[in-house]
Amino acid sequence: MSESKIIDACNTFCPGPLMELITYMKQANVGDTLELLSTDNGTASDVPEWINKVGHEMISSEKVGEVWHIKVRKTK
Amino acid sequence: MTTQTETPLAATVADRDDIAHDLEQLSELATLVSSARDAMSDELVTRVASALSEGITLLDRLTRNEGLMRLLQVLDRPESQHLLIGLSEALGAMSRDIASAPPAKGGIVGILRLAREPGTQEGLRSISLLGQYWSESMRELHRRGSG
Amino acid sequence: MRILVVGGGCGGTILANNLARRLAGEIRARKARITMLSASDQHMYQPGLLYVAFGQMMPDELYRDQASLLESNIEFHVDPVEEFQLDQDQVRTESGKIHQYDVLVIATGSRIVPEEVPGLTEGAETFYTEESAVKMFKALREFQGGKLAIVVGVPHKCPIAPVEVTFSLHDYFKTRGIRDKVKMKYHYPINRIHTIENVAKWTKPEFDRIGVEYETLFNVKEVDVKNKVVKSEEGTETEYDLLISIPPHRGMEVIEKNKLGQGGWIPTDRHQLTMEGRDNIYVLGDTTNLPVSKTGSAAHFEAEVVADNIASIVKIGAPVREYDGKVYCFIEAGHDRATYAMFNYQNPPDLKSPNKSMHWFKMAYNKMYWTSVRGLL
Repeated sequence: MSESKIIDACNTFCPGPLMELITYMKQANVGDTLELLSTDNGTASDVPEWINKVGHEMISSEKVGEVWHIKVRKTK
Repeated sequence: MTTQTETPLAATVADRDDIAHDLEQLSELATLVSSARDAMSDELVTRVASALSEGITLLDRLTRNEGLMRLLQVLDRPESQHLLIGLSEALGAMSRDIASAPPAKGGIVGILRLAREPGTQEGLRSISLLGQYWSESMRELHRRGSG
Repeated sequence: MRILVVGGGCGGTILANNLARRLAGEIRARKARITMLSASDQHMYQPGLLYVAFGQMMPDELYRDQASLLESNIEFHVDPVEEFQLDQDQVRTESGKIHQYDVLVIATGSRIVPEEVPGLTEGAETFYTEESAVKMFKALREFQGGKLAIVVGVPHKCPIAPVEVTFSLHDYFKTRGIRDKVKMKYHYPINRIHTIENVAKWTKPEFDRIGVEYETLFNVKEVDVKNKVVKSEEGTETEYDLLISIPPHRGMEVIEKNKLGQGGWIPTDRHQLTMEGRDNIYVLGDTTNLPVSKTGSAAHFEAEVVADNIASIVKIGAPVREYDGKVYCFIEAGHDRATYAMFNYQNPPDLKSPNKSMHWFKMAYNKMYWTSVRGLL
């Protein structure tokens, strides 16, 4: 049974949104969905760059107000 | 007209001297700062910081010691200072006299001779009064509770 | 009001001391009581480990007696917690004692788990414990030249360590006169040289200048110890003759065993610093799950907020402050120059040019730390 988790990395600079995502990705199980929240515009391009290189799955990416909501799935 | 042209020239020369002097001083200052920076080393900074930090810790402990603070207040009074200095001087004079006097031989005759000296009566009176006040103070301490 | 502090590291010690001062009257009048439980009778200055790895500090300089750092009105026991019984507002320690509390502060810190990456423990040197730092120094001494790789696990405490150790390695080999024989390659998990943008911006040209190669988006997957190759999740690999790692971390075992948080990271409110779902439990330092740098600096500022709040709750029944995410970290940039990064939830770090004065401030702070954990600085 796959789980869904929200990671709130709004207004943080260190370790920063992508590092937080990588941390939670390690704890997650294959098939789990992670939703990363970030107020940093760079995250919108940083996350897909990593997801594509490492081989997980991008589900969606949208900005709601000031906050980016980026959904990814762990595939391996 | 001559005066008008002469005065500005004279002022310029005087200014130049002042400026040169100031520059020389600034240059010296810069050399001093630079030398100080060169002399600074990791070890120096570390030692000074260590001393200062421990100093702050010690100071904090001392200032929060209520007994010590009260004692310092009492010592502030000129009277307390004079008494302590007086006691210290008396001890000093006493030690010099004893050093030059032969050791007591003991026995009743010696005691009687001592009793006749004015110093003995003064001393006994002082000790008696001291005992009175000190006992009263100790009773007061235990009445109040030594906490 | 029984206040129990679990953990005698940087955050726990500052918290306990600050609280002990604020509540001195209440403690004397037996209206409040502070108890601290720790796994060790020693307090370690962790930033010193980097110096130990380069032979610049001796291991004994890292430690002080924990009891000597605590206010005299704190009850201190070297008796680590084994079981958290939060529903009963109590904990059970290794010796079997039960400590009941009205307010609990969990400040247990974090530990390295190189075993999470196959081959990392055997194949890499690190400086995150006393033993490994001394071993790393000896390995550096023996190293005569070749390929040196630096890899970084996620998450890890002290985010600036990867950059600092790289500069330190460069300086070390230069001093030994063998820098031209060493080929240094730095690997980082995300898509720039460092997670803080301004640090990455400043470091990249510096690495170019001092001849350090770098590869980003490199998350360590495994180390082939026999063939001396380190491999990434992203499918790339690097050969090495000497491997230096900053291992991945987890919270303390006791936190995981008691199911207080996945990975040992306890879900914490980012402003109140209370444990999620429990108003009478505070969490500070490395063991929170906050997206905040795992540093002594964060623990320090968090401890000040929590101390203020617990004291105000005792005195007026309500908290008075919030944690604003403040972190202040020195950055040693090599060659006796340093700068610093200061930021919070609202303001990103803005780096000044590294200079000698800042390096001396860091040197001074190495000694000021002991006064700082007493709650004086």
